[in-house]
Amino acid sequence: MGRTMIMKIMERASGKEVKIGDRVWCNIDLSTARDFGGANCTLQFDEITDKKGRVWDPAKIAFTFDLQAPSHSEKVSANQKIIREFAKRQGIEKVFDINWGIGQHVLLENGLVKPGDVILGTDSHMNLLGGVAAFATGVGNTDIAASWLNGTNWFRVPETMRIEVTGEFGRGVYMRDLLTLLVGDMGAGGMDFLAVEFAGDTIERSSLAERITLCSMVTEMSGKIGLILPNGPVLDWLALRAGANGELVRQRVRDIAPDDDAPYCEVHRYDVSKLEPMASCPDAPDNVKTVRSISGEAVDQVHIGSCTNGRFSDIATAFEVLEKGGFKVSPTVRTIITPATREVMAQCAREGFIERFLDAGVVFTNPTCSLCTAEHYGALPSGDVGCSTTNRNFIGKVGKGSHTYLMSPASAMATAVRGVITDPRDILC
Amino acid sequence: MKVKGRVWKYGDDVNTDVIFPGKYTYTVSERADMGQYALEDLDPGFTKNAKPGDIIVAGKNWGCGSSREQAAICLKERGVGAIIAKSFARIHYRNCLNEGLPIIISSEVQGLVESGSEIEVDFEKGEISAGGQVVKFPPYPEFVQGLVADGGLIPHVKKSLGLA
Repeated sequence: MGRTMIMKIMERASGKEVKIGDRVWCNIDLSTARDFGGANCTLQFDEITDKKGRVWDPAKIAFTFDLQAPSHSEKVSANQKIIREFAKRQGIEKVFDINWGIGQHVLLENGLVKPGDVILGTDSHMNLLGGVAAFATGVGNTDIAASWLNGTNWFRVPETMRIEVTGEFGRGVYMRDLLTLLVGDMGAGGMDFLAVEFAGDTIERSSLAERITLCSMVTEMSGKIGLILPNGPVLDWLALRAGANGELVRQRVRDIAPDDDAPYCEVHRYDVSKLEPMASCPDAPDNVKTVRSISGEAVDQVHIGSCTNGRFSDIATAFEVLEKGGFKVSPTVRTIITPATREVMAQCAREGFIERFLDAGVVFTNPTCSLCTAEHYGALPSGDVGCSTTNRNFIGKVGKGSHTYLMSPASAMATAVRGVITDPRDILC
Repeated sequence: MKVKGRVWKYGDDVNTDVIFPGKYTYTVSERADMGQYALEDLDPGFTKNAKPGDIIVAGKNWGCGSSREQAAICLKERGVGAIIAKSFARIHYRNCLNEGLPIIISSEVQGLVESGSEIEVDFEKGEISAGGQVVKFPPYPEFVQGLVADGGLIPHVKKSLGLA
């Protein structure tokens, strides 16, 4: 019997042959923590080692500051300081402070993520790194602290679902719309404990940003990891970023490619050529409808960004809709754009986007996770309706008593331009 | 070990944002303070009235969403005796194990009880007495039993390093 991608990844990381259902100790290639939850990890590590312990390998630990960057309160500032001091004491040099942006994206841009790597982090959307075939997973602080003792942690070898996607997206329709459709079809628990392999011609042609989008919300279906084998320009980019490890990146892709007779528990097929813009309606990601069917609903705030849709191409798409819509957002809608990283922000600046956004009435912020949580500037007051490209719209998530629709950057900007939920094809086509 | 308590019954896909609201993750850092906010955005009745030993009976995918360990800590600190769900979301499953919170996978109990019912869990026998019936539940997988026997993940790793 052949092996799936996740089985090959776990075999490399555990050094033994694995079967589905086995629980194995895997060597961790990178164990990360962010400002959210990071201080809990360092305090716990200090507590269990009486503050005398050394981490197993400072070069394999990274800290990212993304959820509250810059810090908005003394409490958060104190937690960030705890992390900086721990890193200094332990000789951990990979500290991506408040100027860098969203952790997973920063790790990718800095060449720290290779296909086949096993990566931990205190962010439940770590698994967007499956977009380059790394097995990255969110965990709690105990799992992180334990991994810092000896560089391992345990995992169950999961069954794998395969999703084959074919066809070209129509005008105004994007990977996010396929993702939203998928979340609705699978439901919040539809991938529980499963790995997922995405394949097919649509996936093979997709950009890194699209792969990140698709894999990021595997979490919203409770999947363990969604994996896409790097190819073409994505593989070239990864190898370039990996520097001296460039050849290793290419070797890993060969090593972890799934076998032709790999066992899949389910196979699903999607054709995107007839897909429409989709939205997750309040108050759950899997409450999915077409944007057309909810168009005309009034919104108070639009937010474009997040680890799911904060890449340059996402912002460029929003720019295109704004341009076609007359370079003005509705005065009744507060519109906020947040790039994922400083690299993305710098590219937006070079392209001349930022000034045009500002002139159009948009708030353009520094790179950060931004409105994934109510504990950030821009939180919604009770009774307000938001429209966002983030990945969760659970009740209370960005403000008690508020409600949020999730959609693509194009749909979100179309909504910002018209002031009510709008199918982007009404502006683009 | 036996636990007897009142049932708090919930549906499918309860996420960790409603188990421990995100706003408190920045303002509440002491474990002992977390219990008072448990389930605030799901069931204020629980937040106000739950007693030590009470038992949560849930549907599928309990604890989906954010990886915050506080979602397990707040229930542990509140004294929750056990969580019985049809299934658990995997990150929260690990966090509950790591916090020593007893978790049971069972699809039968949900149909036998309502909120307020008294039920008893016998962990040695793997039995739940609910609504006049006895429901069997499977023990933890062998691998997990090994971790639990060592006192959890951290003691297990320390033992393997000769630090315990």
